[in-house]
Amino acid sequence: MSNPDLLALFTTLKMAALTTVILLLIGTPLAWYLAKMQSRFKVIIEAIVALPLVLPPTVLGFYLLIAFSPQYLPGQLWQQATGQQLAFSFSAIVIGSVLYSMPFVVQPLQKAFEQLGEPLLEAGAMLGAGPIDRFFNIVLPITKASFITAASLGFAHTVGEFGVILMIGGNIPGETRVLSIALFDHVEAFDYAKAHILAISLLAGSMVLLASIYLLNRPKIRVVKEVNNES
Amino acid sequence: MNLSLNFEIDFNPFNLIIEHELSLQGITGIFGHSGSGKSTLLRAIAGLQKDIKGSIIFDDTRLTASNDNTFIKVEQRHIGLVFQDTRLFPHLNVLDNLKFAVKRCQSRRLDFNEIINLTEIESLLHKHVDELSGGQKQRVSLARAILTEPKLLLLDEPLSALDRQAKTSLLRLILKVQHELQLPMLYVSHSLDELQQVCDNLLVLSKGNVIAYGGIHQMIHQLNHSQNKALTDNCIHQQTSLSLPIKTLNNGQGLAVLSLNSSLSSSLNTGEDIYLPALCEESVQIDEKINMQTLRCFILASDISISLTEPLNSSIVNHLLAEISSVSVKDNNVLVTAKCQEQEFFVNISIFSQQKLALKVGQSVYLQFKAGAVRTYLY
Repeated sequence: MSNPDLLALFTTLKMAALTTVILLLIGTPLAWYLAKMQSRFKVIIEAIVALPLVLPPTVLGFYLLIAFSPQYLPGQLWQQATGQQLAFSFSAIVIGSVLYSMPFVVQPLQKAFEQLGEPLLEAGAMLGAGPIDRFFNIVLPITKASFITAASLGFAHTVGEFGVILMIGGNIPGETRVLSIALFDHVEAFDYAKAHILAISLLAGSMVLLASIYLLNRPKIRVVKEVNNES
Repeated sequence: MNLSLNFEIDFNPFNLIIEHELSLQGITGIFGHSGSGKSTLLRAIAGLQKDIKGSIIFDDTRLTASNDNTFIKVEQRHIGLVFQDTRLFPHLNVLDNLKFAVKRCQSRRLDFNEIINLTEIESLLHKHVDELSGGQKQRVSLARAILTEPKLLLLDEPLSALDRQAKTSLLRLILKVQHELQLPMLYVSHSLDELQQVCDNLLVLSKGNVIAYGGIHQMIHQLNHSQNKALTDNCIHQQTSLSLPIKTLNNGQGLAVLSLNSSLSSSLNTGEDIYLPALCEESVQIDEKINMQTLRCFILASDISISLTEPLNSSIVNHLLAEISSVSVKDNNVLVTAKCQEQEFFVNISIFSQQKLALKVGQSVYLQFKAGAVRTYLY
């Protein structure tokens, strides 16, 4: 791998790691809210969260590009706060990735929280555990596998992102040039050897990640001794 | 210790409306048909049911009062709850489930090992919860609830998923725990037999309303005459409910002997006896009022028959001389109430038998029932 490609790898990993952390911090309360919510507005929020699954990335990228530009409020606010332009920055591709990968984190967590239900939380409350205590000592350990799945899917999906980043980040080495864009550059330049290295690296990385998720989430086989009807 | 209930909950298909003051001594049973509001009442007391209009006051502490938005959080109420489905944490083993309760208990007056011994779960501590049987899970669940050191323990149909042997074992355990810790309990069940064995008082619910509250035997006998169709169709077996001193655990002929005269220990050798299958020592409890071993038992009204003459040449061991105090007819069945030494007995017979024997109030008759008809869970 050449130095520019290593730089693209570093940018990609930094973007994906940051995106995953932000997604877990935002996605967990959102998924909890959706799992417990009974309002008719729930379907609207669910639809918004799931939108990136069906929306062409370029559509999302296009609207984000407009929003991030200094002519519009989000871009203006950012520029006032940081003194820098948001569009075509590392921050822009992180924000774009968070929105684009949101369903991959929120949906598995929401499903896990729905399956967990209220009974064990009620039992925890009856034993003196407050809401935060219940989350960290009951919810988190029981839904650990779903958190691993959500984080892995969010990370992997961000690593493989192309359309949104190209639209809002462009191709600035060390800032917004990620692996998928580097690969596209190599193909455009007919440098298939370098393209192969990046493509195979991404393929192998994705395979290893998915295999790890399945390994961690496979049902544990416990040897249950014969249980007497009553002691 | 009192529990003042004065509230209303929107409860499909009817509202749960409770206006009652319970004196929490020993074990108070809450009985009713499915959907009568029993479990909702427990959940309201525990704080798990929040949409309450009115107030719940426990031992001078306002747990809930909708008029000024008072609501003490579930985790701050010092009330324990044993759920029907145990709700042990699946990611923890038995010991860690118990430690979960201990770590969050502020007073820590109870000794952990004593509770383990009391609930007989020493051998289960390092097992995972999915290795336990239903009865073992309920023991652990009971121990876990006790370890929070509640001022009141709620039991929501704790035996409903257990077999007969496990039920017997857990009922004994509940009595033992109540006796040792003097912990007031509210015990919800739709099984009158179960409640008869352990409760001191009984609250009867039907369609969201309290229809009766009082001593357990008195309430069970009152329910025998109930015209409440929801109750009689679903969960009431007419019966005679007894708590009697034990004269002999085993008379050497395979029978235990109870004295029908429960008030005076000095006159145990006078009056009528009741025979039942021999008992083992561990199954009985001491009644502190008369300092004697007593046994809770019941006889189904359908298990007793009536004879106009003393059936001396019969294999049926119990025959008591009694005087008929009422005869009532319902749905081709006759419920005869007869008194023997101040104790009421309830007998179901057919209209045919009633006409054949020409039974009437004030008439002396012999009640007869086999030893095996005297039922108890606790032996």
